[in-house]
Formats: sequence, C-alpha cells, structure tokens
Amino acid sequence: MKLFREPLFHFLILGAVIFVAHGLITRHKTDKPGEIVVTQGAVENLLTGFTRTWQRPPTEDELHGLVSDYIREEVAYREALALGLDRDDMIVRRRLQQKLEFLSDDLATRTQPSDADLQSFLQAHKGMFQTEPLLSFRQIYFNPQLHGVNLHRDAARVLDRLRTPGSHKSEIDAGDPFLLQESFDHISPAELKNTFGEKFASAISALPVGSWQGPIDSGYGAHLVYVAQYTPSRLPDLAEVREQVRRDYLDARRREAMGKFYNTLLRRYNVRIEPPEEKKLGQVQ
Amino acid sequence: MRSFKLTSSILALCFLVTMPLAAQEPAPPEQELQGVFAKKPPYSPYAGRHFPERVYWGDTHLHTSFSLDAGAAGCRLGPRDAYRFAKGQEVTASSGQRVRLARPLDFLVVADHSDGFGFFPLLFNGDPKIMTDPQGRRWYEMIQSGQGGAAAVDIATSFGKGAISKAILPVPGTVAYQGAWEEVIKAAEEANDPGRFTAFIGYEWTSLTGGNNLHRNIIFRDDGSKASLIEPYTTQKPLGSDNPRDLWKWMSGYEEKTGGHVLAIAHNGNLSNGRMFPIIESFTGKPIDREYAETRALRERLYEVTQIKGDGETHPFLSPNDEFANYERWDKGNLDLSEKKKPEMLEFEYARAALRNGLKLEQELGVNPYKFGMIGSTDAHTGLAAIDEDNFWGKISAYEPSPERATHPLIKTENATIMGWEQTASGYAGVWATDNTREALFDAMQRKEVYATTGPRMIVRFFGGWEFASGDANTRNPAVIGYDKGVPMGGDLTNAPSGKTPTFLVAALKDPIGANLDRIQVIKGWLDAKNETHEKVYDVVWSGDRKPDSKTGKLPPVGDTVDVPNATYTNTIGASELIKVWKDPDFDPAQRAFYYLRVLEIPTPRWTAYDAKYFGITMPPEVPMKGQERAYTSPIWYTPSAK
Repeated sequence: MKLFREPLFHFLILGAVIFVAHGLITRHKTDKPGEIVVTQGAVENLLTGFTRTWQRPPTEDELHGLVSDYIREEVAYREALALGLDRDDMIVRRRLQQKLEFLSDDLATRTQPSDADLQSFLQAHKGMFQTEPLLSFRQIYFNPQLHGVNLHRDAARVLDRLRTPGSHKSEIDAGDPFLLQESFDHISPAELKNTFGEKFASAISALPVGSWQGPIDSGYGAHLVYVAQYTPSRLPDLAEVREQVRRDYLDARRREAMGKFYNTLLRRYNVRIEPPEEKKLGQVQ
Repeated sequence: MRSFKLTSSILALCFLVTMPLAAQEPAPPEQELQGVFAKKPPYSPYAGRHFPERVYWGDTHLHTSFSLDAGAAGCRLGPRDAYRFAKGQEVTASSGQRVRLARPLDFLVVADHSDGFGFFPLLFNGDPKIMTDPQGRRWYEMIQSGQGGAAAVDIATSFGKGAISKAILPVPGTVAYQGAWEEVIKAAEEANDPGRFTAFIGYEWTSLTGGNNLHRNIIFRDDGSKASLIEPYTTQKPLGSDNPRDLWKWMSGYEEKTGGHVLAIAHNGNLSNGRMFPIIESFTGKPIDREYAETRALRERLYEVTQIKGDGETHPFLSPNDEFANYERWDKGNLDLSEKKKPEMLEFEYARAALRNGLKLEQELGVNPYKFGMIGSTDAHTGLAAIDEDNFWGKISAYEPSPERATHPLIKTENATIMGWEQTASGYAGVWATDNTREALFDAMQRKEVYATTGPRMIVRFFGGWEFASGDANTRNPAVIGYDKGVPMGGDLTNAPSGKTPTFLVAALKDPIGANLDRIQVIKGWLDAKNETHEKVYDVVWSGDRKPDSKTGKLPPVGDTVDVPNATYTNTIGASELIKVWKDPDFDPAQRAFYYLRVLEIPTPRWTAYDAKYFGITMPPEVPMKGQERAYTSPIWYTPSAK
C-alpha cells in the first residue's frame, strides 16, 4: 500500500488524531463563545506541570493561582484572537509555521529505509558519494629567488637529463631545498590544492603517469613532477558508506516531504504577487 | 537585525582564553628511540622516517550559540555548523550571509564557555523550565521581539554579577547541562573523521574575576566514551572555581577517573591586567611556589599567543628595541574594561616576558612554570573560524561583515573604548603531527611541536642542535637533517658539549596562496649571572640583498606593494622560501636561554582595507589598513647542566 508510506497521508491522519484528542480534552470550554469551562483534565495538566518544575505538588493557594492564571490566559487568548492580534505578529506566525512543519518533518523520517532504498539512492546520487581521485607523485623544486629569470630554463635542463635512461640521483639532488616532501602518497585534489595552490593542482592532474614532466608552477616556484600513480574516483559499495547514505537519504526525504506538503497546501490557494510600485513613482515624476 | 549596543560585559564574556596543559609525559618521539638501534641506514631512504612530514592547520578556540555570550550576541550556529564550516562547506552565517573558507581546516575545537553551557539554545527555544522563571521569560520575550542586543547585555551583566536565577542557568548535574554537553560531544563525534579531519571535544573554562581574563580552553584527547563520564568544570562556586589551581585538580581528576588525557591552553594575557603569568599569585597574594610551577608546566604546555582580541607576543613597553613589537595591540584595560591598564602590569601579560620570567622562576624554584609552546586561534563567537584578512567574520555575530562594523565600538565603558576596527583577523594553530587524528595532534601539542600564525598558512621548521653546519640548509629536505641532528620546536637543549655553541636550522615557506616572506628572526631570551633577564631579536635570513644598517644593525624594511584602495598587493618583493643555519653569537653555556622564531610576511592589506573596498566606505584616519602578518614558533630552551 503505497498510500500508507506517503508522509502527507501520515500527516493528515496524525492531524486528525490531534484534533480529535484536543477536542475531547477541551470540548466543553470551546462549546460556546461566552463560556469558559475549566475541565478536570486541564487542572490535572496544571498540577503535573507545576509538580515537574518544583518537584512537589502545589499548595491550595498555589493551585488556586494556577487556575486563575489559566483562566486569564484563556480569556486573553480568545480576546487576542478576536482582535486579530495574532495576524501581524511575526513571532506567532513563525511559531505556528514551525509547529506545522514539525509534524511533516517528523513523519518523513519515521520509517527506516531498507537496503534497497539506500542502494537506489546511492545509484541515483553517484556524485555525492564518489570517492576522491588520489594521486601519488614525486617533485623537484626550483626556487625563483635562486634562479631568477632562468627558473624555467634551469628546470627544463634538469628535466632533459631526467628523461634519459639510468639512475637520476644527481638530477633529483639538483633541486633546491624545499620544506614540503619530495614524494606524496595518495593525496586528494583538495589536499593538493591546499598544499600547492590551485594552478599546480589542476596542471598536475592532467599529467601522464610514469614519466618526469614540467616545469609546473606553484605558489612557491617551479617543479618537475613524476606522477607515479593515479587512482581514479569510484563509486563505493553501499557497505562502505551506509551511514552517510542513510543520513543523506533521510535528509532528501525530509526536503521532499516538505516540498510536497507545501505544494498540496498551496493547491488550495490562489497566489498573486503584486508588481513593484516603481512605475507609480515614475509617473509621479 | 544587528544590534551594536553591546556592552563591555558581553564582550568580556566572549573573550575567554585558555592555556593548554599537558596531560602527562608524551611518549618519546620516534627519533629519540632510533639511536638505540643499529646505525646503518635502510636501503629505502623513506623507511624509518616517522617524523611529522606535514603541518596540520586548525583552530583550538571557537565558540558557537552554545556559549552564553555568543548566543546573546546573535550567534545562531551550533557546534555542528561550526565543524561543517571548518571542513570547508558553505554555511549561512548568523547575519544571513553565505560564507565559506578559502581552504578547509584540518582540525577544530569547539570550545564553548562551560558556565551557562547550552543556556542560550534552551532560552531561544523557549524551554518550559526557563519559561516558568520570570527572568528567563523576560529574556525570551526580549529576544523574540527583536531586542536581542538588550537581552544580551542584561544576560551578560547578570552573569557577571552572579545574578542569573539558579533555577534556569544550567549548572553541572542538571539535565539541561548534561544535555548540552552531550550535544557538544555528539557534534564532535559526528564530525571527527580520522585521517581527514579532527573534531576535538573541548570547552572553555572562563575565569573572569573582576573582569580579568584568566581563561583556559580544555581539549580532550579522548572520544565521547570518556568525555561523557564527566561534565565540564565551571568557575561559579560551589561547583566550580575561578582559580586555575582548581582547574588543574579537575584535570587530574578526569584523568584518574577515565584514564583519558586533557590539556589546557590559556589566552589573552593582554586582558588579564597583570595576572596571566604571575610571579605573585593574585588569589593568595603570595609568590608562586614549586607546586604551582610544576602543575602549570605539566598542565599548560601551550599558550594561545594571537587571536581576534589582539596579539600577545610582546609589547613596545617591554621590547622597546623591537620595531615589530607594536602589532595589533589591545592594551587599554582588562577584558571588560572595568579597570585601566598600567604599564607595570604588562610584564605579566605577554608571552615573551613570561618566557623570560619563566627562566628566572626556574632558577629559584627548580621548575619553569612558563615553559610553553605557542599557537594562534580565533576565539570567534560566530561559529565561523574565518580570520583571513579578505574573509574575516568578526569577533561576534553582530560584527559579521557590514559597512558599520569597523566604526562601531566593540567594548565601551567609562574607562576606554575598543572600536570594531581594532579586532585582529588572527589566528590559526600549525601542528607538526604524524597524522590527522585526535591522538596524533594532541601528542604533538603536548610536545609543543606547534606554532602560531596570525592567519597565513606558512610552513615553518625550527631545529636546534650542536652540529648544524651551513650546508645543512642546502639539503633537499631540511626536515630530515633537522630531526637527525637536532630537536624540533618545543624541544630542549642541555649538556652543552665543551666549547660548542647552539646551532639552529631555521626555515619557512610562504603560504602557497599568500604573500611572500620578508624575513625570519630568532628571538632569544636569557638569564644572566645577576639573575636578570634579557631579550634580543636577531634577523637571521631575509629576502633580497638588503644589508643591515652598520650603526643600528637593523635590516631595512622589505618594501611595500600594498594598494589600499583596491585592497591588493603583489609578490614582487619578498621570498617564497627562506632557509639558513644560524649560530648563537652571544652564547654563554652557564646561562639559561630560550630561542623562538618570528617569521614576517611582506606587508599586505588588513581586513579593514577589504571592508572599505567592498562596502565603498572611507575608514577614519586612525584605522590601520595594512600589516605584516607573522608566525611565532614554540621556543627551544637551553638549560645549563646542573653543577
């Protein structure tokens, strides 16, 4: 029964239950406009509230005070509504909106998703769960303050030697002292960007694997780079990311339910947005 | 709506600082153990390399709406939002503006005030218990009707006077308090992602007696299973205390009870009016004793030297010969400006002077209470650890970017006024750790392998030893030789080999997206034979071919490319990297000493310049529009061997 899983359906049912329950408790006092009946139910409520706050039941006097406060509150509430004091009050409006939304919100997340739900959510939102691509590389640094205008030429010369077969210890040592590591293992694009700057990060991700390349500029100077390994981004199995998928799934359900909820309510209204009044001002001129 | 009618008392609450403290001796770093085994190097040059290869960036001191004062001043972001933002996600700030960091942080400590913890979310949500209290209801209604600023003032003032109704202020042991602490723990547990992002559990202990800032941030090495066994320590009697000695006892109690570890980091000595680094304890009026020194040295191994409420390295009054001493100074009074500053207070407020007095106290007591490393953090009360000059989100939510924020008073009393423009867009903590986990970062903090920056993420290495030679600065990876021949920042040199002088490998690499470097300086402090302390600033390595003045010995300024109206600069001056081996030319093996680095960037636009450009406003002439951002490392100490 698809209907029973529909949040709006739950909402309507729950709303009806609350309405009926509220009516049972307070029916008498709302029967006639000019009449306030303090039911035993209402008195019980006052008693419980007091006892919870003060850790003891109220005395006779206190109970009397509670009841007369309650009556005043009820009178004031009805008179205020009659005068329409609730209408332009931002706090009242927001609070009512909040209460209404809570109902929808609660229902949207009541049923726990099944593995099949999560699996299809994962497939439908691959972008949200893809692992980051990872890069392993070595780099040789050339300091612009030491090489000046010859920075790229000097780096390119070392690169030529690196590309010939054999051991390259002396070429690797030809780089300048540098506070970052010579080799980076499984670094993500975000980390790469934080460490070397955006320009370097995007340049290096386009390099072929398995050969020395460059020179590539960073915020520090120029680098020769050897990309040893590139692990592309992949979609993880549900088991690896179940908790995250579940959170995002529930969040999506919540938003979806809220959207539907408002859409359903909005069908009952004709909404018209008045055009701005700038033209009028223009005419006055 | 923003309200600028915030009184000093609110601000006072905002500005809690803490000192780190050490739980217990960390395990010896790997490199110390290496000497035990055979010396032949392994075939792979990378095998056995266990030293920290990268620095992790974070903020150890961020407030959210869970802090009484932050909530009152308009902060609506909670701990979860704070962690999300630190991870690099875009959020909506309390002022309704969208905000994001240029680069994510690697770690964050949400450190909300333990006094009144979680009060504000309760109040804001109209918690039934608060609503039954006349005072609580009044504040609720004020906030709901848009008088949040006035409510904030009233709340803060009442808190300062201890006049908040006991029935509504959550104190340890109440359900509300436990609930707030659980929320904090939950937020950290959810955000913690070992290897990628560390979310520490923490809080701030906010001792503010007489408006004098003695705050400490408490950071847990442990997860929620241990942290939830206790509740944060407060300052309000009888459950809490405003005396740091009682906080240290609480810390020991936690460790004994749970087997966990906590540290404490003090901050804003500049607002303590002579009480942060005492020689005479303000609580007893007596000279500090060995027990104080020992416990403080154990518990408070780091100091937060720079943050939004000013830079605390040193002061021109204390360091008259240091032309860079007058940096982002807050020296008008104590935290709530209830008492004006007197020059004689300064010596007990600033880090450099405290490091000096520490040498003296060590001579007298046998223990140095002020043997601390240095970090920076924000102390922002916005849930936003955003202190880049071009992305500065202010001290409190009411001072998020707006055309008015610079020219409105931030704190105002009959004694003095601190204007919005005096906020310092600073700082972050750099931590040399082996991994991005609670354990690895915490242990690095305990061994003081950390440094402070005023915001830029420059990489700084500092090693001390007896054998560094000038060629060591030319090796491709200076860290390898640094750890091999010496100790890193935060370490100790002792037992000077006969005839040897301490040598230091100093190196800094610019922020990859930031400004070039001007110079690296060594700051030395020492204790002479007459038991008097001294300090000296050495320019060690600098950009370009500048020559120190032959008379004064001072290096000429690096220059200035700042275009204030456009809030830009160019890296046409300065250097991207500076490395050198430096030997102390004035070493006396009989004298205690410390050495730390100060790394200066070239001048760049201050946040006020970015504000002026964005909002198209003219700042008053007294507003500084540029500055030289900097880093301070933890010191390396030299201690003569006992005779």
